[in-house]
Amino acid sequence: MATTTITKTEKLVGKRIRRREDPRLITGTATYVDDIKMPGMLYAAILRSPHAAAKIRSIDISKAKALKGVHAVFVGEDTKNAGAVPCGASLPGLRVPHHNLLAIDRVYLVGHPVAVVVATDRYVARDGAELIEVDYEPEAAVADPEKALAPGAHAVHPQWADNVAFTFHQEGGDVAKAFAEADVIVKQRIVSQRLIPNSMETRGVVADWHAADRSMNLFTSTQAPHLVRSLVAQILGLEENRFRVVAPEVGGGFGAKIQTYAEEILLAWISMKLQKPVKWIESRRENFLCTIHGRGHVDFYEIAAKRDGTITGIKLKIIQDLGAYFTVLTPAIPTLSVLMMPGLYRTPNIQADIVGAFTNCTPTDAYRGAGRPEATHGIERMVDMVAAELKMDPAEIRLKNFVRNEEFPFPTATGLVYDSGDYSAPLKKAMEMAGYDQLRKEQVEARKQGKLMGIGLCAYGEICAFGPSPATPAGGWESATVKIEPSGQVTVLTGISPHGQGEETTFAQITGDELGVGIDDVLVLHGDTSLVPYGIGTFGSRSTAVGGTALYYALQDLKAKVKKFGAMLLESEDVTLANGQCTDNKTGKSVGFKEIAAAAYRAMKLPPNTEPGLLATHFWEPPNFTFPFGAHLVVTDVDRDTGNVSIRRYIAIDDCGNILNPLIVDGQVHGGVAQGIGQALWEQAVYDDNGQLVTGEFMDYTMPRAHMMPWIESGHTVTPTPVNPLGVKGVGEAGTIGASPAVVNSVVDALSPLGVKHLDMPLTPEKLWKLISAGSNA
Amino acid sequence: MKISGSYFLPLPPEQAYQRLQDPAVLAGAMPGCESLEKIGEDEYRMKMKMAMASLSGNFDGKVRITQQNPPNSFKLMVEGSGKIGFMKGEGDLNFTPKDAGTDVSYEGDVQVGGTIAAVGQRLIDGTAKMMIKRFFDKVAA
Amino acid sequence: MIPQQFEYSAPKTLDEALGLLAEGAKPLAGGMSLIPMMKLRLASPEHLVDLGRIKDLNYIREEGGAIHIGATATHQDVLSSPLLRGKCPLLAETAAHIGDVQVRNMGTIGGSVAHADPSADYPAALQALEAKIVLKGAKSERTVSAEDFFVDTFTTALEPGEIVREVIVPIDGDGTGTNYQKVLQPASGFAIVGVAVRVRKQGEKVTLARIGVTGLSNRAFRAKEAEKALEGRSGSPAEIQAVAALVGQGIDANSDLHASAEYRLHLTAVYAAKALATALGRIA
Repeated sequence: MATTTITKTEKLVGKRIRRREDPRLITGTATYVDDIKMPGMLYAAILRSPHAAAKIRSIDISKAKALKGVHAVFVGEDTKNAGAVPCGASLPGLRVPHHNLLAIDRVYLVGHPVAVVVATDRYVARDGAELIEVDYEPEAAVADPEKALAPGAHAVHPQWADNVAFTFHQEGGDVAKAFAEADVIVKQRIVSQRLIPNSMETRGVVADWHAADRSMNLFTSTQAPHLVRSLVAQILGLEENRFRVVAPEVGGGFGAKIQTYAEEILLAWISMKLQKPVKWIESRRENFLCTIHGRGHVDFYEIAAKRDGTITGIKLKIIQDLGAYFTVLTPAIPTLSVLMMPGLYRTPNIQADIVGAFTNCTPTDAYRGAGRPEATHGIERMVDMVAAELKMDPAEIRLKNFVRNEEFPFPTATGLVYDSGDYSAPLKKAMEMAGYDQLRKEQVEARKQGKLMGIGLCAYGEICAFGPSPATPAGGWESATVKIEPSGQVTVLTGISPHGQGEETTFAQITGDELGVGIDDVLVLHGDTSLVPYGIGTFGSRSTAVGGTALYYALQDLKAKVKKFGAMLLESEDVTLANGQCTDNKTGKSVGFKEIAAAAYRAMKLPPNTEPGLLATHFWEPPNFTFPFGAHLVVTDVDRDTGNVSIRRYIAIDDCGNILNPLIVDGQVHGGVAQGIGQALWEQAVYDDNGQLVTGEFMDYTMPRAHMMPWIESGHTVTPTPVNPLGVKGVGEAGTIGASPAVVNSVVDALSPLGVKHLDMPLTPEKLWKLISAGSNA
Repeated sequence: MKISGSYFLPLPPEQAYQRLQDPAVLAGAMPGCESLEKIGEDEYRMKMKMAMASLSGNFDGKVRITQQNPPNSFKLMVEGSGKIGFMKGEGDLNFTPKDAGTDVSYEGDVQVGGTIAAVGQRLIDGTAKMMIKRFFDKVAA
Repeated sequence: MIPQQFEYSAPKTLDEALGLLAEGAKPLAGGMSLIPMMKLRLASPEHLVDLGRIKDLNYIREEGGAIHIGATATHQDVLSSPLLRGKCPLLAETAAHIGDVQVRNMGTIGGSVAHADPSADYPAALQALEAKIVLKGAKSERTVSAEDFFVDTFTTALEPGEIVREVIVPIDGDGTGTNYQKVLQPASGFAIVGVAVRVRKQGEKVTLARIGVTGLSNRAFRAKEAEKALEGRSGSPAEIQAVAALVGQGIDANSDLHASAEYRLHLTAVYAAKALATALGRIA
């Protein structure tokens, strides 16, 4: 517990310290958006289109308006000048649909907002929405990106008949030569299916406008409060310094809360219009339809290789299902796949093309891993296929092609510079833990008995810690402010916006170690734009690597000042800060941290050239991304009778650089692996031909549950990054990125005696059973 | 969703054909049909109240008969929409004499949208089959 | 996720409840299916009568050589009942397969049976047990067999105003073995296919075989051809395979996102074989 004594007994960084945010979460006392109540607050309910494509002939709101308790009903005509949903990504020739807050004359996806009812409570608001009569003229829709690109397909936006939002081309090295000189060329179409992020808390917004001082308070479940502030203030023409955005407790995001959504703009607009606070809470059904989806790739790979297994060239064509309109990063996500297409391999020659396709579906955007799981899945599947073609062991081909330790910093064919690594270490460690050679022998025996046992490997690399500002749409730096209060307690204000990643704990560990105080003497605050300096937010496994580094540097400044005051009090010139006190290195005399803080604020006397008070702010611009890596090894058994996959062993070896808190790192890996296995085996957003999302609830969308998870044997290798002084790389997405190819490679391996070379996700039992029962050659 | 099947009616094809176009018969046989009102040549406006398990909802819809080829075949289109979603069924009915009656075979497409499409996936097939069976049972009665 | 306005009554006596139901109210018995439907506004009953406070409906007791289970006994009550576990283990075993812990704590046997979801677990066991279902209205009480009770998808022998009052299952003596096998639809937890088997042997011969199937088609049913094929046999592995293959024969199987009709039929045979082998192996 925090006390008035400042204490310190041990080094905090590197310890398995329990998360300090957990007590309020597990006792149900945290404050989420829906816990916010304000006097006179109204509730909004949104009427949404049941059609994927339709003209709106007319909207009759008279019955809704007449309902007792309804304050207002707004339709597209009312909000058409209130701005559009912002897209932050830019690509040459990008066609950006103007997505109004409410549909005006046509809808182009199921869930398209058509009208909003504002009422005294959420029940009346919903009743009111049901009374609105919309006359639709349904049209044919297109829900599949490949069909959308076919000639004659329904145009999602009439002005762009080909449904092409953009094309993108990148190449490096001499790919033509690599293919011309290849001994083998392996081709495969690989699908990374559409997924629904499904955070535990859906989205929600409370907007509270104060006309008298032109100020807005916007409470929203977001990963990037400052970004929401900048965008919504600009869209509505409001003053940014009077616009406060608060991300209260946020129950998960997984990338789906980086965006600025229509509802955030709409609710602010309504609050201004009605001069009242207004709340909207997304239902789970809306969350399935109206919060972004992830993945949605159809990839066409070609790999050129030499007979000895050297991979000499990669060609990749990506068809990205963008959905019907763009959220903040939609078109940028597949470009991340291109950046990471070589994986951990030295391959000097690459060629990539992306076609972004509009469909009558929910927009895709960043979902845990965002572009890198697709790239990793592709290259890791392809490497296995090349190994099979060359009759090589999948471990051997990987070890042969890895970037070598002496080659770092390693420039890739896609224009990146990999920071540091020992890529073979996690793979070797995973193989050792698994007893790889023994497993292969066991597999030979199992196959003799007709059993389908598979061993799958994945060696993944990812790009994290976004990132140098020129490479990002909205700045890639991060900020931190550290204040030592007069009582000696330390307050950290960070520009990142954690929502489950545990930085209230890890940042307190960093702070405690640097200032020589205890973890309970430190409070980490975030997520309120009126409190913390401008920050970018939490996504892309950047919080600790970028935000933690900003904090580290702020702490260096502050530590120097504390020492100055300590030295002044001790009348010394050589002092050390540790164990809650400042000690004279010569005399051994010490003064408590608390006394120093008091002296700094009381300011009876000041050290030379030193101002009173103890506060430091640092903005840190990273010089490069970081590139975590690792290897996952999965042993599966496939039941011949049913096609069921059971995961016998799951080994995850991750290298995320230095580890600040092993407990939190393990938790991040476990959650990530669960989502990756979810994609591999169960999850998929399925649309029918008419653009209806048929997996529109948890009845049909298979979220992984605890009881479906294997025991995860996790381990680490540690290769610090030179990019930041903490040596940390990031681990939020690693598990997800490593998991899906490891599982799929394992199942393909299990079915390889039947001639199976590739399987697309999810690996549902029926899909496998059909192959098994046909004895097939897929 | 594709649907197909057949049903035996103990009537000669001419009568079976006629019965399946008789608005009074249709109104009595369409599950949940509350009213059927002629609005054009072989086109009717229909009000339905669907009730199955705890699900219930009112639908406004249309019934249309096209491509008539008596007594061999015609196309039947039924659509309805309400607060809980919409549905549209379209099918070809073929009449073949069999024993002393007629084998009515159908083949078509059922489209469902809105909330019912999102939450009722595992039940749509079974429900469609049940509705069709109830429909023919009533036509035969 | 916001239902329409409705009236809610929670009577303490069965008569009071039946009176309200006779006026058109809808019974609530756990609400594991009804409440989600109401939240989605797929169901909008005007008046709900919660049967949960009626003490007289919540029991599991032995009476007249059978076990009577009151309508509001939860799945947790059923799966943990020492009486059922000892004397009708098939029902307790089946209850353990329903939904998840939260559903088992709230959902009731009467609610599940009356709802007649074609993929619910209980109906398979009730068919295999040749259970009786007691239906009670304001002015009537009648008993129907499980076979006659489950009519079609969500359609039962219940008349308007009637509720399931209790379920009666037999007590099988020694020489009987049972088992329930289920293929879980991983998203919803409902059965893609569920097979309940109850077999009795005298010496080396199967004297009674009852096989209940859920999830495969429009309603839970008894696989009588398969039952007949097993009776009089010893239940050898080869016979089990042959009998299991008959279980889904001639059935118009359902097809959905999670399993095609073909796969469902295949799973029916696979899991019927497992259930048969397990049940035969359990004969004491």
